Amino acid sequence: MVVEMKIRVGFDGHYKDLTVQIADGDIRPYQPGDPLKVVGKSEKRLEALAKATGTAKYTFDQRPTGLLYGAILRCPHANADITTLDTTTAEQMPGVMAVLKSPEIFSTNSCRYAGEEVAAVAATSEAIAEEALRSIFVEYDVLPFAVTIDDAMGENAPQVGRRDQVNVERTTPRLARQRGGGIDEEGEKQNLEQMREKEAKVDALLREAPVVVSRTFETAVQTHCPLEPHGVLCEWKEGKLICWASTQATFGVKGELSSERGPVGADTQVICDHVGGGFGSKFSAGREGVIGALLAKKAGAPVRMLLDRRGEQTAVGNRPSSRQKLTLGVSRDGEILAYRVRSWGTPGTGTGGAGANNTGVYKLGEVDKVEYGVRTNTGGARAHRAPGWPQGAYGLESIVDEAALAIGMDPIEFRKRNDDHPIRMAEYDIAAERSKWKEKRARKQGIGPIRRGIGIASNLWFSAGGGGAAVMVRIHKSGRVEVRNGAQDIGTGTRTVMGQVAAEELGLGLADVQVFIGNTDDPRGPASGGSTTIGTITPAARLAAHDAKVRLLEIVADRKGWDASTLDLRDGSVVDANGKALIPFRTACGLLDEDAIEVLAERPTIDRRNPNYAGFSDTNAGVQIAEVAVDIETGEVRVERVTAVADAGKLINPMLAESQVRGGVIQGVSFALFERRTMDRQEGRMVNADMEAYKILGSMDCPEIDVVTLDVYNGKSNTSVMGLGEPPIVATAAAVANAVADAIGVRITSLPITPRKVLEALGATRTRSDEEGTKL
Amino acid sequence: MFAQEGVLKHMPPKSDPPREDPRIGEGVSRRAFLKGASLTVAAVGVAGPGARVVRGARLDETVVPILGPGPVPMRFRVNGIERTLDAPPSTTLVDALHDVLGLTGTKRVCDRGSCGACTVMIDGRTVDSCSMLAIDAIGREVTTVEGCGTPENPSELQKAFVECDALQCGFCTPGMVVSCTALLRENPHPTRDQIAHGISGNICRCGTYQNIFEAVELAARKGGARGR
Repeated sequence: MVVEMKIRVGFDGHYKDLTVQIADGDIRPYQPGDPLKVVGKSEKRLEALAKATGTAKYTFDQRPTGLLYGAILRCPHANADITTLDTTTAEQMPGVMAVLKSPEIFSTNSCRYAGEEVAAVAATSEAIAEEALRSIFVEYDVLPFAVTIDDAMGENAPQVGRRDQVNVERTTPRLARQRGGGIDEEGEKQNLEQMREKEAKVDALLREAPVVVSRTFETAVQTHCPLEPHGVLCEWKEGKLICWASTQATFGVKGELSSERGPVGADTQVICDHVGGGFGSKFSAGREGVIGALLAKKAGAPVRMLLDRRGEQTAVGNRPSSRQKLTLGVSRDGEILAYRVRSWGTPGTGTGGAGANNTGVYKLGEVDKVEYGVRTNTGGARAHRAPGWPQGAYGLESIVDEAALAIGMDPIEFRKRNDDHPIRMAEYDIAAERSKWKEKRARKQGIGPIRRGIGIASNLWFSAGGGGAAVMVRIHKSGRVEVRNGAQDIGTGTRTVMGQVAAEELGLGLADVQVFIGNTDDPRGPASGGSTTIGTITPAARLAAHDAKVRLLEIVADRKGWDASTLDLRDGSVVDANGKALIPFRTACGLLDEDAIEVLAERPTIDRRNPNYAGFSDTNAGVQIAEVAVDIETGEVRVERVTAVADAGKLINPMLAESQVRGGVIQGVSFALFERRTMDRQEGRMVNADMEAYKILGSMDCPEIDVVTLDVYNGKSNTSVMGLGEPPIVATAAAVANAVADAIGVRITSLPITPRKVLEALGATRTRSDEEGTKL
Repeated sequence: MFAQEGVLKHMPPKSDPPREDPRIGEGVSRRAFLKGASLTVAAVGVAGPGARVVRGARLDETVVPILGPGPVPMRFRVNGIERTLDAPPSTTLVDALHDVLGLTGTKRVCDRGSCGACTVMIDGRTVDSCSMLAIDAIGREVTTVEGCGTPENPSELQKAFVECDALQCGFCTPGMVVSCTALLRENPHPTRDQIAHGISGNICRCGTYQNIFEAVELAARKGGARGR
């Protein structure tokens, strides 16, 4: 059921009118010029004071009476099968209240990376728990292993997986599979044929292209390293599991732990008032969640099962590595004609999820992409803020810059030539102007060891939100207003933004509504993933508040003998058609017969497949320009400034939006310069599973970040918002890499850009000609 | 000299000399452990590669009460209030604060002094409380984030953190607040470089550094860490 309406969409200087279909019962998307008072305002984060005073309680901070401490024994070998697992001594140890064997829960004896779970205990203290772990006797059948993609792709590489699992598997185009998982021979034949055709087509175009650039780029594995580790605090009450979880998907965790097919299978309530970071790694209850629930059940007492830092760094996710062999053919006037991608990446012991998104953003002509997932005996990848994108952007934006350089075209002009995004086209100019691009790009290097450079890259993202969420608004007779949704706030500001949207609709201030989130006993909410949370929740919140308002005004009209259709709520009062205040909101609520008005609104959608309306743009964009200083004597790179132009539909809270952009940039710079999981190829273990040798950007490395946000009335839902968590991290590392190339005149072809790589690259320019270089 | 180190004294030792080292540390506790762990162990220590640690110590068994492994009583001032607790001598200060005393603002994150999330002040100087034993805080003044201000009565700095959105997930925030409070007490009007330096021991994974710089600058304008 849809209704048609005319709306205005776009942004400053770029508005247009559209006739769109919206879901029946939904309200008109925010329109340019709407007199919004709370939405669009930089309200302070609702939980900010609690966080700044240390009173915000995280999962890690829950202290129920009789709390036990869980701990996990992890396999020290990179590839091994457990042959003996004896926990008798641990079980008899005073203070040990429960012991579990991993193979009995997860039905496998195989440990395919150093760090895989073997056993777990719950004890009255962490010291006793650790002592109990040390007493567990395990014998392993230790197998050969491979922890790098080179080792896994080598000719006599050890088998990483089991049974018929191969180390290297094609992921793009996806392997044709039968039901049940076997290869569909017929489908594969077609696949290979199409791949050959594509390859031949691109071959021909590259042969004819006047300029072809080709190079291989690599990125390292990056761990999420949220400060609050993964885990749960579980307590059983009358057969029901109460699970405090450090999660970015309360309902996902609930689903896993309550699933009949899972090892826990009990009615579960998940609570998460605050979560100390997730960045994509905390969607699942994980093995630690299952272990926590089962330990608590066995011990008959609450158990805190949070990972230690080593477990956190090895076992619960990372951004996979990438090796991207890219070839780009362009015309002399800068049109991209053809593009070839061969790429590899390791997501750990599986093959899926290690793709590099290196074919997005620009019009790339004919594209021939084949990609492989490579199994290694390492901890598994998980979604990591814009999965696949920062790695892909680094490859793509680097080769794009090389092409621009080869034809002597300004990198921004070259991008514009191959772009038509309605928002990004404006963003290029804003970014160039703010950063004084032209002037800086043209500057001559001074004397002395410091070389300065400036580089650009683009963002792309997709999320206007989805269905499957509902928000409840309850207006009490006392005038108290509750806004409820059970999803979590991972630091993005969901709690605050949901309150703003509801308050706006009710003509109240943000302080006049109470927002409740992070509890699965409240209405269903989304996982914080794909930058969809705000786009999913806020349209439901707005609609619920709107419908509650309509009900309230009907009651007021009835009691007072007014015409409900002329009434509205504004500035804390019921107002008439002329905006004149009639009675205060609180007085109006006092007219209720019942205790409260309760409205539960589903997130409006037209249908499941297409949750959003036709709007200004299906994607949001963004442009970033990085400025670096490179010391050619030490090889050290400093990012001095990043200009980040970002858009995310209608901005509900510009300050929180800017914080998201700054955070994305910081993590992007960190990815560009510092972060790298290091594996010991002899022992098969992660060498830097801590926060000391695993380097993360700190305050001294922080660039000045100039954020420009565009307010785009996108029209894709009633709040017109788009997601913003992920897009700002897409371009940063790529822009930094391009700036480094501009500074030193030679390209660093792998991330992180360490001093050593800079020095090696500088040395190499003098001693060797790059066979991959540029063919003119 | 050895007998004067913290571990042997359970009551506030007035004779305890002021410590210059802002990172009061592991050396002390290691010696303390050696001492407590019996003469034999200490003797091995003297003979072994770790001899540096105990050289010059008076290995006089009669003055060495053996502590642990069970709980021992401890008393120190936390946020101006005298607190007593019983905990094994191996208990780190962060665990004593967070798990035993319930001051859950202080977070244990890296557990090895790399990230600063557990930062507290001891006699006004910042330390990583994960890398210090609780017994080494005996008789001293500990200030946690809860002691910097409360929701009802926040410090100017905490208000500035709210104002400038200097936090996202918030897990590093207590450590940041303590570090910035200490910085402002020492230097009421720090430059941006000095602020960056002041929190260089604190990692924020969400990337709020620039907001924190702004918050410290705002608090400095409004009277620094003292103003409530």
